[in-house]
Amino acid sequence: MDKEPQPLQLRKQLKQGQDMAAIEVTHLNKTFKTHKKEAGLKGSFKGFFHRETLYKKAVKSVSFSLEEGELVGFLGPNGAGKTTLLKMLSGILYPTSGKAQVLGFTPWERNPGYQRQFSIVMGQKNQLWWDLPPSESFLLNRDIYGVNHKTFRHTLDEMIELLDLKELLDIPVRQLSLGQRMKCELVASLLHQPRVLFLDEPTIGLDVISQEKIRSFIKTYNQEKKTTVLLTSHYMQDVEQLCKRVLVINHGGIVYDGSLSSLSNRYIDHKVIKIRFAETQSATAPPNIKGIVEWDKHHAVLKIQKKEVAQVTHKLLGDFRIEDLSVEKVEVEEVIRRIFEESPKAELNTQGEDKPHKWIKKPGETP
Amino acid sequence: MQNTLWRYFALYRSFFSHNLKNEMIYRANFAINIGLDVFFTMVNVIFFAILYGNIETVGGWTFHQTLIIVGSVGIIRELAYLTFRKGFLELGEYVRTGRFDVMLTAPMNTAAHLAFRHVSLTESLGEGLMGLVLVGYGFAHLDAATWISIPFYCLMLINSLVIYYGFCLMVSSLVFWLIKSQELNTMIYYFMNTARYPRDIYHGLGKTFFTFLIPSSLIATTPAAILTGRIDATLIALSVSVAFVFLTLGLFTWTKSLNHYSSASS
Amino acid sequence: MQKYWTVFRVNWQNALQYRGPTLISILGNLMHISVLLYLWNAIYKDEQRLGNYSLSDLITYYVLQLLINGMVLSYISWQIGTEIREGSFSNFLVRPINYLHYWFTINLSGKLFEGLLISVVGLIMVGLLIDHIALPSDAVTMVHFALAMMLAGILAFEFDFAIGILAFWLVQIDSFKYMLQYGMFFLAGALLPLDLFPALFQQIAHALPFRFMVYFPIQIFLGKETQPYEGFAIASIWIIALYVVLRFGLKRGIARYEAVGK
Repeated sequence: MDKEPQPLQLRKQLKQGQDMAAIEVTHLNKTFKTHKKEAGLKGSFKGFFHRETLYKKAVKSVSFSLEEGELVGFLGPNGAGKTTLLKMLSGILYPTSGKAQVLGFTPWERNPGYQRQFSIVMGQKNQLWWDLPPSESFLLNRDIYGVNHKTFRHTLDEMIELLDLKELLDIPVRQLSLGQRMKCELVASLLHQPRVLFLDEPTIGLDVISQEKIRSFIKTYNQEKKTTVLLTSHYMQDVEQLCKRVLVINHGGIVYDGSLSSLSNRYIDHKVIKIRFAETQSATAPPNIKGIVEWDKHHAVLKIQKKEVAQVTHKLLGDFRIEDLSVEKVEVEEVIRRIFEESPKAELNTQGEDKPHKWIKKPGETP
Repeated sequence: MQNTLWRYFALYRSFFSHNLKNEMIYRANFAINIGLDVFFTMVNVIFFAILYGNIETVGGWTFHQTLIIVGSVGIIRELAYLTFRKGFLELGEYVRTGRFDVMLTAPMNTAAHLAFRHVSLTESLGEGLMGLVLVGYGFAHLDAATWISIPFYCLMLINSLVIYYGFCLMVSSLVFWLIKSQELNTMIYYFMNTARYPRDIYHGLGKTFFTFLIPSSLIATTPAAILTGRIDATLIALSVSVAFVFLTLGLFTWTKSLNHYSSASS
Repeated sequence: MQKYWTVFRVNWQNALQYRGPTLISILGNLMHISVLLYLWNAIYKDEQRLGNYSLSDLITYYVLQLLINGMVLSYISWQIGTEIREGSFSNFLVRPINYLHYWFTINLSGKLFEGLLISVVGLIMVGLLIDHIALPSDAVTMVHFALAMMLAGILAFEFDFAIGILAFWLVQIDSFKYMLQYGMFFLAGALLPLDLFPALFQQIAHALPFRFMVYFPIQIFLGKETQPYEGFAIASIWIIALYVVLRFGLKRGIARYEAVGK
């Protein structure tokens, strides 16, 4: 594929792209509006003539940047603003304020030059023609994106190989399984060889095997093509296996930007020590041992501050006859849960009311 | 410019063949649609037949001349289905479910994408064919029919199609606020339905209203006027200007409204 | 009874949520009527005459048609068809609510709501066209008219419901439904007064019950039907007969629905 001569325009942009980030987002905001619905018939009547507008800040002053070729994961609970961000970067949503540059373009200007160079795949939406075989949708995308026939054939063959799709090409989409459909969605989105790829929950609802396949495909694709990938997922495994760097987003703002490993270092200050005793102990723990979570005659689990782990381990080994001792690090999933639990409740509501309303009355200033 | 035109022509062909393949899967619908179209056209003809059973002319138009107006509406409807109409019918569903996203990310004009995505040959084919029959029948019964008027008639049909498109764009832009398009489509449907009556029935405020605000009085009367030998330069100039203004305003409203799209999740 | 009252209220709330669409559908209707008024005006200006209708009679006819379209004519078969086809009808099988009565309530609440809105529009129109409206002179006529409207509403609902539950037997009824509905409205006199039809058509339309939905109430209002008691009796018989048929049909339909299994 790299042997294919790049069109002149694209080559120029590639050259320019070397000294700037692939994605550059600064103070991006998106506020949604809705109308308040009062309960009951009386409320409905009132609403017919006059209704109060409510605002929700889906994305709050988000800034970050991505280098070309990076594969970055977006983490956050439902409604945190991940999808809204991806949609703004795709030009689907118009932001309330702020700036974003992807490959040197402002996404919401919807410049065809940009549109030919990126793709967005949403796990819950499908762009394939429901009643026709996927190959027909591929052909249509070839024409929409103006991919030349030779390149198209080549790219398609390559991806059929990678995703093992040969048998599916001529079956109507409605008869395909969810996993098969997702594979075809990916192919349809990659036929024009985008330089930037947004994946919104690409593995949602899939069985474990399909998830694994999609995951390894994304990994290979990113490595081989040096495509910049920004991915959101519910499944920790997606992020753990694919992304070195993660952006954690909560209540519309980025709360962490860095490597996955230092994420746990930063948010978790303890480790868990598990012990199996070689001989039966008394049922109650001796008072000089701290951080006990569980203790019985044969086992113990302790939660110990990181810096004290060595000292405590040493003491344990000295005090008891121990058959097995393991120091376990905390699961990333646990780390994430912690972050979301810890984020201040006040962020839900800039009005400072104590009820955690999601929708607020005034757009207000971004913190 | 020429390149772009060529590209969109090729895209239209591509979408057309995809849609035709899709329609072939549901062949039964095709037969039903034809039957439905024939039925509705006949009801309209019966309406005018009963009316003209009691009177001689309506606004100076005889029964056969009125049939040309009714038939022209049918032809324009089919032409609209061949180009843009069904996309607007589906738009509400696209916006409600968020499937409209695709149209915003593809390197293709959004309005063209929506239009082409659902170009349909068969959806209104019955009405188009019935329209041809009515126009032919009416034309054959005219006292002063000239063949030379036919190409001009066709040109004005296309001009009417442009008015129709501009009107659809303007009305459908509201989808991004209402999220429901059923009523907007009803509005557009009424618009075409009121085109069935000769423009000459209006006077005063009504005439202005149905010319400049809701230009339905121009849609079928202008082409039919040419075919029935009422060539009127003012009317033609008016129709062409209205088409230009509505298309420009329609495209402007549409482009602006896209920024208001709030993509639904799932 | 309580549950139907709740259904009634919830449906109103639902309708109030969509003020934009409601307004637009009224505007569209209004547009159509205005065009027809221009049409009659043009015809009468040429000193032509339609049957035994004066211009004010015709204008009144179509203003009332607007009112009847909002308050009387039922359009629920679409939703019923969808529910049955897509399987959400199953929710009703497990609930202690009668499907026919449920939809009667929904329709009643919807029509009263729309009727209220359309009355406002109607009053404005009457105000503008006051010189051209043929108002009835006595209270008896008004009482007759109100009674006829009530019967019309029930009858229109029953026919629409019947079209809706055809979905139990026919998979694709949308197009067919349009045809039935439109044909029905035509024979009801919604497009043209029935006595302008050719003689044979008139006899057919007169033998069918559809005229009670539009033509009959308007004739009473225009004072062209001074002895409506026979009409009331026939309409009532139709209503009762249809009710029995619908209960039976619904039972058969449900049996079929369960047999197919959705």
